Amino acid sequence: MSIEVQNVTKKFGDFVALDDVSVSLPTGQLTALLGPSGGGKSTLLRIIAGLDTADSGTINIEGTDATRLPAQKRGVGFVFQHYAVFKHMTVAKNVAFGLEIRKRPKAEIEHRVEQLLELVHLSQFSHRLPSQLSGGQRQRMALARALAVEPKVLLLDEPFGALDAKVRKELREWLRRLHDEVHVTTVFVTHDQEEALEVADEIVVINEGRVEQIGTPDQLYDEPANDFVMGFLGEVTQLGSIQLRPHDIELSTAPGLAGAISGEVTRCLRVGFEVRLVVRTEGGDVTVVLTRTHARSLEIAEGSRVWLTAASGATTVPAMVAV
Amino acid sequence: MVDVSLPAKWLLRIVAVGYVFFLVAWPVGLVVQHTFDAGLDNLTEALSDEQVAGALQLTVMVAVWAVVINLVFGVGISLLLVRFEFPGKRVLSALIDLPLSVSPVVVGLALLLVYNGRDGWIGPTAESRGFQIIFDSPGMIMATCFVALPLVIREVVPVLHEIGDDQEQAARSLGANARQTFLRITLPGIKWAVVYGVVLSLARSLGEFGAVKIVSGNITGQTQTATLVVESKYQSFEQQTAYATSFLLILVSIACLVVVAFLRPKRTH
Repeated sequence: MSIEVQNVTKKFGDFVALDDVSVSLPTGQLTALLGPSGGGKSTLLRIIAGLDTADSGTINIEGTDATRLPAQKRGVGFVFQHYAVFKHMTVAKNVAFGLEIRKRPKAEIEHRVEQLLELVHLSQFSHRLPSQLSGGQRQRMALARALAVEPKVLLLDEPFGALDAKVRKELREWLRRLHDEVHVTTVFVTHDQEEALEVADEIVVINEGRVEQIGTPDQLYDEPANDFVMGFLGEVTQLGSIQLRPHDIELSTAPGLAGAISGEVTRCLRVGFEVRLVVRTEGGDVTVVLTRTHARSLEIAEGSRVWLTAASGATTVPAMVAV
Repeated sequence: MVDVSLPAKWLLRIVAVGYVFFLVAWPVGLVVQHTFDAGLDNLTEALSDEQVAGALQLTVMVAVWAVVINLVFGVGISLLLVRFEFPGKRVLSALIDLPLSVSPVVVGLALLLVYNGRDGWIGPTAESRGFQIIFDSPGMIMATCFVALPLVIREVVPVLHEIGDDQEQAARSLGANARQTFLRITLPGIKWAVVYGVVLSLARSLGEFGAVKIVSGNITGQTQTATLVVESKYQSFEQQTAYATSFLLILVSIACLVVVAFLRPKRTH
């Protein structure tokens, strides 16, 4: 295990940011800390990096107790949401910073910077100032800067949060490929479940200062530990006494299966290849998602009478008492 | 923009220009005119006057010391105020503005009370070891430091707030210690604010009169700064020398303003 977090608690005044959190993050993997804003995931990352200190609990990085180590001695690379570029230095100087602090020979620094800029596709920008780069380029530079010191772990705090949707998607795929090349233990914080599901080997879901679930993207999606995880990873709707995903509901136009819940289609909305239905049942409104072709073959329209059952093999969790 | 009729526009301009002219331009212009009413004679005469030459040297010495001390403490206190939380922070912040609101004469008197050589315990102790504070340069430097104290801090604090501590944290995570972080990251970030603050402090220090007059004792040829010489020359009917010395002070102020004007646009980068 590369990073061991044990019983970490952190309060800001009365607000409990982390409540007795323990996590093990394995070596060489890409792990996502996923959760809603203000849930404590960034605080946990900053405590691992040594940028914040825990009120209690211990941090162990690659076998050394790092709880009391200052940030500069932890051997971690940190990438900030808003890049934190050194504005007065060129791209090359930014990347070289950590190596110059370590007083490496000039030739070695030059060679390494060249290598890293190639890795992040910024070679032709080495003499520019950060203000002349786009957001995505700045973040890639920040990543190269963090990798330059050969950190034991790489920590990224909402690395793509300040970028627009298209660049975010590109960078996310690029991060995955980079990780497959470099293999440094990487932890990144995100509130975007799609980002976490797509990029991470393992996801830690954090909410209200507690770990809700730890698992691979498939485990989380297929076997959510509770309704929070289920709801956070994708859309859910309530059918009778269970919660499930709207596309996991089977719909028929005749009462066939036992336990089917009947209702009336009150809304029918077409979005691209999908058709989203709102079905009014005795237990409340249920959202159902069908493919367009399926909906057409069933001749569904507003006002149709339908019978709903959970598809076999659907991921379900018991519904909490309706609010 | 508010729409103003043409006559009103001209009236406003005339009032504004007239105000500045009668209050600043005309009086200052007259000093310059009187300085040169006998060609360069007044100026050369003043500079060859030992009392004036000594005072100018003393002024520069006191001002440079005060600026250097205020630079070090100013940047230090600014960092303390922006980057750290501690009890009494707001009191400290309020105290720093005090020199702006208290009359320099009061400052001089207050320093005199604490550091004089007859009573109290700091003054006599220092004097018994041969270190005179009041009626000598240390007291004058202290008085000048006091009045110019807020100038560096009030320039640096907003810039420190603006640049935030992201870059400093990044430097730390890359292995830089506190000194390296300050020299390589923080200082380049606040560079222009510091220069701006130094120029303002310098202008303020050179022109200080009230506080210095009290703590220096105004001893002719020993503890008289340029502003004190202007007063004493004027009172002893050597107006021409007073004008010439005033002119030199004006010249330095204008030089400071020019430097500041050049720096201002760079700060918006």
